[in-house]
Amino acid sequence: MSLLAIQSDALGYGDQRVLGPVSLDIRAGEHLILLGKSGCGKSTLLNHIYSENRRECALIPQGLGLVECLSVFHNVYMGRLPRYTVLHNIRNLIRPAQARVAEILPLLERLGLAAKCFSQVADLSGGQQQRVAVARALFQDAPVLLADEPVSALDGPEADRVMSLLGQNFATAVITLHDVDRALRYGQRIIAIQNGELVLDQPSGRLTASALNEFY
Amino acid sequence: MNSTKPLSLPRYRWPGGVRTGVWFLLVALLCLPFADLDVSSLDPWREIGRMLQGVISPQLMDPVLVTEALLATLAFAFAGVALAVICGFLLALMFHNLLVRAICALIRSIHELFWALIFLQFFGLHPLTGLLAIAVPYCGIFARMYAEIFDQVATQPEKALPVGSGFFSALLYTRLPQAWPHLVSYTSYRLECGIRSSAILGFVGLPTLGYYLESSFSQGYYSEVAGLMILFYLLIATKKLWLRRWTLPLFLLGSPFFMGSGMPIIWGNVGRFFSQDIIPAPLRSGDASLHSLVDWAGTIVMDQALPGVWNTLLLSQIALVVTGLFALLFFPLINRYCFDTVGRIPGHIFLVVARSTPEYLLAYILLQLLGPSMLPAVIALAIHNGALIGYLTGRNSNEIRLRPDAPERRTDRYFYELLPRSYPAFLSFMLYRWEVIMRETAILGILGIQTIGFFVDSAIQEIRFDVALLLILIAAMMNILVDLLARRIQLHP
Amino acid sequence: MLRILIRGLFLMLLAGAVNAAPVFVFTAIPDQDETQLKQRFQKVADYLQQELKTEVRFIPVKSYAASITAFRNNQVQLAWFGGLSGVQARELVPGSRAVAQGVEDPEFKSFFIANTSTGISPSDHLPESLRGLTFTFGSKGSTSGRLMPEYNLREQFGIGPDELFSRVGFSGNHSRTIALVESGAYQVGALNYKVWETAVAEGKVDTSKVQVIWETPTYPDYQWSVRGDLDAVYGDGFTARLEKALLEMNDPELLNSFPRSGFIPASNDDFEPVRKVARQVGLLD
Repeated sequence: MSLLAIQSDALGYGDQRVLGPVSLDIRAGEHLILLGKSGCGKSTLLNHIYSENRRECALIPQGLGLVECLSVFHNVYMGRLPRYTVLHNIRNLIRPAQARVAEILPLLERLGLAAKCFSQVADLSGGQQQRVAVARALFQDAPVLLADEPVSALDGPEADRVMSLLGQNFATAVITLHDVDRALRYGQRIIAIQNGELVLDQPSGRLTASALNEFY
Repeated sequence: MNSTKPLSLPRYRWPGGVRTGVWFLLVALLCLPFADLDVSSLDPWREIGRMLQGVISPQLMDPVLVTEALLATLAFAFAGVALAVICGFLLALMFHNLLVRAICALIRSIHELFWALIFLQFFGLHPLTGLLAIAVPYCGIFARMYAEIFDQVATQPEKALPVGSGFFSALLYTRLPQAWPHLVSYTSYRLECGIRSSAILGFVGLPTLGYYLESSFSQGYYSEVAGLMILFYLLIATKKLWLRRWTLPLFLLGSPFFMGSGMPIIWGNVGRFFSQDIIPAPLRSGDASLHSLVDWAGTIVMDQALPGVWNTLLLSQIALVVTGLFALLFFPLINRYCFDTVGRIPGHIFLVVARSTPEYLLAYILLQLLGPSMLPAVIALAIHNGALIGYLTGRNSNEIRLRPDAPERRTDRYFYELLPRSYPAFLSFMLYRWEVIMRETAILGILGIQTIGFFVDSAIQEIRFDVALLLILIAAMMNILVDLLARRIQLHP
Repeated sequence: MLRILIRGLFLMLLAGAVNAAPVFVFTAIPDQDETQLKQRFQKVADYLQQELKTEVRFIPVKSYAASITAFRNNQVQLAWFGGLSGVQARELVPGSRAVAQGVEDPEFKSFFIANTSTGISPSDHLPESLRGLTFTFGSKGSTSGRLMPEYNLREQFGIGPDELFSRVGFSGNHSRTIALVESGAYQVGALNYKVWETAVAEGKVDTSKVQVIWETPTYPDYQWSVRGDLDAVYGDGFTARLEKALLEMNDPELLNSFPRSGFIPASNDDFEPVRKVARQVGLLD
């Protein structure tokens, strides 16, 4: 069953074509990994999917999109802004609502950030900031995850922990990665992009790391 | 990782910048009960009605007079700013010297209207009075800002120069080219301030726009006022059209010819001013004992300086906070994430008009409408400065790049994205503006609000220049202290 | 840029020097609406030019202090001063003299006016009910709008206006005092009786909203004062001719614009009472 269908002649910025034509079906319950060299159009595709399907998706964008002068708590809370009234949002900004703290804290605990709950994001390391963005996506609790290199700043075991957390919490996901081994481990379906085209679209079970390495 | 033991969380604390803001808010709230904020006019609506009538039926008074006044306004602004740029630039190069810094701090802490009142005493209504009234304080401002700009450029190019390149060659090849765009943009902004200052100088008798504004206003000829104001806004709004690289020399060369002739200077008056007028009364009358001097100063401090300083503090702290609230309210009007290109036009127009209107003039208008209290002054300061800071913050906020999944509701977007991201810049604009607001608050006393300017004006009206000068110096000290405090807070919020 | 500026400054100073040719310049305290002042004193300038056979120029200023300073700095040689400003100016310029005053000026007075909403009615003394109201003077340096009203308030109540009233302001000039009390911005005010009478006669006052509640005892006020060094610059006998011209001003239109019925001689001593009061009130050392 197709959950998201992407059909586009060309994707890019302004007149500059980066990718396309693209035709892609994302099925429910599928974990899809996008592979390719940097600048090949992975992020463009991801952002395109997001802009067409905002309602269903939680996004971890490449720049993380954190508000650095706000606390970790508030950045994570932002995943659910639309669910609450404006008034509640303003009140929560001035004084964190106990109920929200109670919801967010376990999440942070699983990401090893509980002690940093009320720290300013600006004071965090790059890896910690990336985990905050992950926490925001988890808190949003959307049916589909779109993540652009969500573990690029994390070390091996930490990265695996975050990947499996994302895998458990999102039934459907489109994730860009550059680590072939990790792609094979967490993806059920792998798409490789080269020279502005989707050159490979296979279930991960049929692929080997050496076969994939040629795309880098 | 899945520990079940309850985690003891530190209490949530606001970020440092927010705490600073809240402190200011608290201080302003504490000031409120002491401030006189009544609307004392019995029937403000009648006067507002007459004023609105004037606005919709603007009228030009004698076109020759108006043209002369406009040209004089520009002439004083250009010549004054040019002189200040030259002196300020030279002083900026010596800014590491403590004495230079102190002198600059002193001359810029005295408002241009106070300078005008001082120069009026010995140059009279001569063009030199207007020229220096702008040039002297602006020189101090330029020196500091230029020095700050020079400090911020990269130092590696200068370090990489061969030994013996020489101070000026090094300056010309490394620091100046790097700083140039910033110097130009700041100078251009200051020129706009200069035009405003120049217009205001008319209120004390120089032949600029303010001269006719004051006359028409005090007689209630609101149509004429509206005509003059519209001209003034057009002048500022079209600055980009008439101020070009090739017109600049024309303006500078032409300015000396449009300042009016005024009355001749008699140099003996200058000597007299410094050797007699400003010498404290007891010294002048030959009773030079320390005791009589302390008595003299004590009386002035108790009866005039203290109430003046107190009211100036009350008013400026309240005005500062209202300014901040206005700015936070205004800046989304020109933010690209809040309104589309067309939707931002009204915001832009409002902010241009509000920040082009000098607070002195706004306060003057509001005093007529609301009656004499601190309220019109607070509103005037907040509208002008709020629009200015709102504009700067808004411009700054347009450089924010929101992530694709930024909140969609405008209010959420404002409170969770735009406000937190713009706040640090906003706070530093506010801290910079603190001293300016304090200086303007003091000056509004000339209009009758009992800040320190009121007592300065009284002393001048009573021909007691020694008293006036002492009070001006006290006001200057206040500004310097606030400036120092603001910079401390800036460094350690 | 530096050269341009220096040249500009030089030209300006040169222009200043050229202007120093002996044009006879006079000024007046800005005690009333400016349009009226300009009309009045332009007429005076034309008249004096005709009588004195030298170029005469009137320069308007924005404050009482500015007129005193201009006189003191010898940037004007003649001035139409109020009682207080005249005393202040002559004190600063040795040899200067009061030479002429209006027929009415030796017996000048001030009116206290009140907004009718205060319910205060006219009487022969200032009522106790003034306490706690809001009050406006005219200019800070005015005799009829500041000095004499303040003196009379102190005499009758034994305390200064700041303690007597809940709010004390300075409207700037007599015309504005009427406007502010009429609009209710201030409840009570004090001003030059001539300005009030003229404004009422011209129908500029809504007398259902503001009325006179008390008039002060009389005192000497306005006068023409000249510097003592005129003859040296403008030729022997100039001061005498000027005095004569001022005293012989009899064109009814000219006199009406003041408004005075004629001019009579004056001397510095005539204003001794004003000086005493100013000392008492603390406006003069």
